[in-house]
Formats: sequence, C-alpha cells, structure tokens
Amino acid sequence: MNYELVCGIETHIELATKTKIFCGCTTEFGGAPNTHCCPVCTGQPGSLPVLNRKVVEYAVRAGLAVNCTINNNSHMDRKNYVYPDLPKAYQISQFDEPVCENGYIELDSGKRIGITRIHIEEDAGKLVHESGTTYIDYNRGGVPLIEIVSEPDISSPEEAREYAEKLQLIMRYVGISDCKMQEGSMRCDVNLSLRPAGSTEFGTRTETKNINSLSNIVKAINREIERQEDILESGGRVVQATMRYDANTDDIYPMRTKENSDDYRYFPDPDILRFYIEPEFVERTKSELPELPSAKLRRYIDDMQLPETTARDIYKYRRVSEFLDSAVTEGASVKNAANMIIGGIYKTLETEEDKEKFDIKITPVQLAELVKLIDEKKINKNKGQEALSKMLESGKAVSEFIKAEDTEGLSEDELIRICRAAVDENPDAVNNIRAGKGKAINVIFGYVMRQTRGKADMGKVNKIISDIIG
Amino acid sequence: MALSKEDFNKLAVLSRLKFSDEEAEKFRNEMDDIIAFADTINNAVSGGTDDIKSTGTDAVLYTELREDAVKESLPNEKILSNVDGSKGFFNVRRCVK
Repeated sequence: MNYELVCGIETHIELATKTKIFCGCTTEFGGAPNTHCCPVCTGQPGSLPVLNRKVVEYAVRAGLAVNCTINNNSHMDRKNYVYPDLPKAYQISQFDEPVCENGYIELDSGKRIGITRIHIEEDAGKLVHESGTTYIDYNRGGVPLIEIVSEPDISSPEEAREYAEKLQLIMRYVGISDCKMQEGSMRCDVNLSLRPAGSTEFGTRTETKNINSLSNIVKAINREIERQEDILESGGRVVQATMRYDANTDDIYPMRTKENSDDYRYFPDPDILRFYIEPEFVERTKSELPELPSAKLRRYIDDMQLPETTARDIYKYRRVSEFLDSAVTEGASVKNAANMIIGGIYKTLETEEDKEKFDIKITPVQLAELVKLIDEKKINKNKGQEALSKMLESGKAVSEFIKAEDTEGLSEDELIRICRAAVDENPDAVNNIRAGKGKAINVIFGYVMRQTRGKADMGKVNKIISDIIG
Repeated sequence: MALSKEDFNKLAVLSRLKFSDEEAEKFRNEMDDIIAFADTINNAVSGGTDDIKSTGTDAVLYTELREDAVKESLPNEKILSNVDGSKGFFNVRRCVK
C-alpha cells in the first residue's frame, strides 16, 4: 500500500537572554556543574519565580517574525512530571494561553507550514548517567526556551528540513538565539504518522526527540517512516511512543510510552500572576523587526540582480549578509563585493560554523575600498583577490598592498602597444592560435599581465589581441 | 466529586508513589475532602471560576516583570548542602536502564 506522511515539528529554542527565565542566574553555556544555580532554579521551598521581561519580549519578536498573532493576556502553567532533570517535579510552561498563536512559515515552493503556537518555558537540567548513579547539573535548568509548534502540514522529509532551516535563519535574523543545533540551543522533535494515500484520517503518531542537526531530521524521518511502514504492512498497529534516533547507527527505538496531555495535569502556576503584553509594545516590536531572510533573498535576486546561488550563499549567514549590505552602502558594487566574499573571504572560513560566526579582520568599509578599485577597473579581480587575502591576514587597509602606481589607469594606447609587443614577442603562440589551439592565448595573456603588473582588463586584452591577429 | 480508585491509582503512578491498599483508601478519602473544599471556594465566588479567569477587568492582577540583569548565583557547596552531592553534582539513583 502507498502511505503518505503527516508530520509536524516542535522546536525548542534557547533564548539569548543574559539571565534565566525566573531568576538572575547567568545563562552562560558550560561552567562547572551547579555553579549557575540559586534557590529559585533548584526549586528550593519558599523561593519565588519572577518572570524575565526580556523572555516575553523575545517571544513576541519570534512570533511576529513568523506571522503569529500575539495574545495580550498570558500566564504560566505548571506541567507536572517526575524526573530528576526537574527539581520541582514540574516545569513552568504555558498551556492554554501561549504568547503567540496562528503563524506560518512559507517554503520556497510557496507552501505554507502553519505554526500553531509559540510558548515560553524553562529548560530542564542535564543528566549524566554513570554506573549506578545519575549525576544532575542544574546550570541549564531555568534557561529560557520558546517552543514553536508547527501544524502537521509537513509532507516530506525535505519539507521538514526546509522548515527547520528557515525557522533557524529567521530566529537568527531577529537575534533571539544563536540556534546551534549541535550545542542544543535549537532542538527539534518530530511528530510523525502515516496514513493510506488519499485518506483524511490521521494514523497513530510517534514523537522522535532531540534531533541535533538538520541532516539528521531527514535521516530520522526516513528511518521512522520505514519502521512505521513495516509495522503497518505486517498488519500491526503503531503504538504512540516517544522515540530516540541514534544518528551513529541510523537506528530508532522507543524511549518511553508517551504521557497524554492530561497526564501532565497542567494548572496555572499560583506563584506567578498573569502578565499583560501591551498592544503598543507589540506594534513597536513589529515596526522594529529587521529585514527578514525571505525579503533579503528577494532583494538580492530581484533588486540587486545577484545570481540565485550567490544570493543564497550570502543570505544564509546573518552576519555575512549584514557585512555585504554595509559594504554596498559604502559604495561597493554588490556583484564584485559578493564575489570577493564568496571567492575570497569564504576561503578562509572552512566550516558552516566559521561562516556563521564570520569573525574576520576587515571591516565592510575596507572591503568597499578594495571593491571600488575593481569596480573602477583600476585593478583586475585577480589582483583584488591577492590584496584581499593579505588584508584578511593582517586586518590592514587595501592601500597597504596596492600602491598608487598600481592603480593608475592604463591608457588605451598603452594597452594596445603592450598587446602588439606581446604578439611580436611570441610568434609561436600566435601561430598556434591561428592553427586553432585556443589555449595558446594564455601565453599572450601572461605576457600582457606581466608587463602591466596585473592591471590589464582581460576582456579588453582579448578583444585587442583578436583585432591584431585577425 | 468523588475521586475514583482508578484516578487515584493513576495519580499515584504519575507521581511515582506507592501505597498499600489501606493507605490508598485513607488518602483517597482525604483527597475527596480537599476537592470538596476547593469546590466550596469556587462556589463562593459569584459567577464561578470563569469570572476569575476572565480578562480585561479591574479585578485581574498582573505580575511585575524582572529586568534581565545577572545576579550572583549561590556557591556550589551551598547549593549542594542538603543533598547527596559529589563532584559538584546532585546525585540520585540511576534513572535510566
């Protein structure tokens, strides 16, 4: 039988606040175990949580960036479950009044993946299991999270990946999180069920937890589809369960049978009063949102005429796109600036993470100074790349590496004279070119480049040489 | 509203608690009393619980929010002073198989 996939994703994102959601402990990653803790985040009797304003602000920003409506009235609930990663035996979360509801993310195909809700909650502690003991570190306990719940609108592993990738980029653009999946500041849980193609009823779903990379989303979904298909094909029934995907072995196995929503016995947290999000604040946040990734990509392609692959290579790193935008504001042509970034700067940034960090020694102004020399044809691109790599190493301005005499324009007459000389001095190459050996032109080009110290525009040289040789 | 045996047992499982039959019966009755007490409070508020939950009225109190400023955490030994802790961790019996 043919089955179709019904899939929704719950994404947890750690917010980049300085302090935890209900206390003043730092949210800094790492640190010796249980040194970022206080009576509130370790759930000591008599301690009282006080909600961090920034958490609410970031959640509103996140919601507006994915087209949600904001609930002006909201409150925190207790979600009860007993596990040592929660010192209070409940997590302070939100149940029936999340901060944001009813948004969507648009995929490249134009299909919209609905976002049911975004709520705020506290992260749990970290457990390390060794022989007979579980060691608990509550440094992460109380770190603020938003949970973004999608509608079950996803119908292929590739759509799931694109959804997660777009969500990650949007949240990075609005600056509420670094969304590093490998460090756990963004974690995806995939809800997945199969149903006979064409059917409108949902099958029984499973939830695969804590997938830690975008490519593993695809792998885990493929693996779980396979597993559920096998069960259904052999006449069995899928059991509602929480699954764990092991990327090393490409294996998926149940962690525990899923607790029902009822089992969490949600109720309003009596320690925290309701909170009110002023409509004026929402409006202001909306007007202050930065240009979002989809708009940026359209601008690069439609307005700035960048090739799509170039535009995508730049827009997918927030800092790089901001760097390019600044260099263009400083007068660089977008095409040459983008080429210098991809052909030059990216060479020094090996990993995705390096590009995401974009920790380089030069400023957009310095790049613009270099690019303008290329734009004005005072130096050619090769010379430009050479200067760029020296600039990236030293952090010094282009004027350190390209002297005034290098940038004095070559007159047309001078260039023609040098080209004539190149032809006269290299009769063998000329014969080869006439005999149809196209590569022989490189000998002529090399001569011209040496004589002009790399200043010649190769397009022009090509034309002059063709005119001379005929 | 009387609490059924099934509900009581379900709650016990979710709370990781174990009771003898005798204890279960005793606590189930006590919980009945507690729920009845809450019902009394609910009925005392005119209009019932929906009114308390309703929004936009003067009766609703809103919380003050905290600024995002770091405060010093407690020293590790102090945090662990009431627990079985070693190597700076809270230690419990292994909770996964």
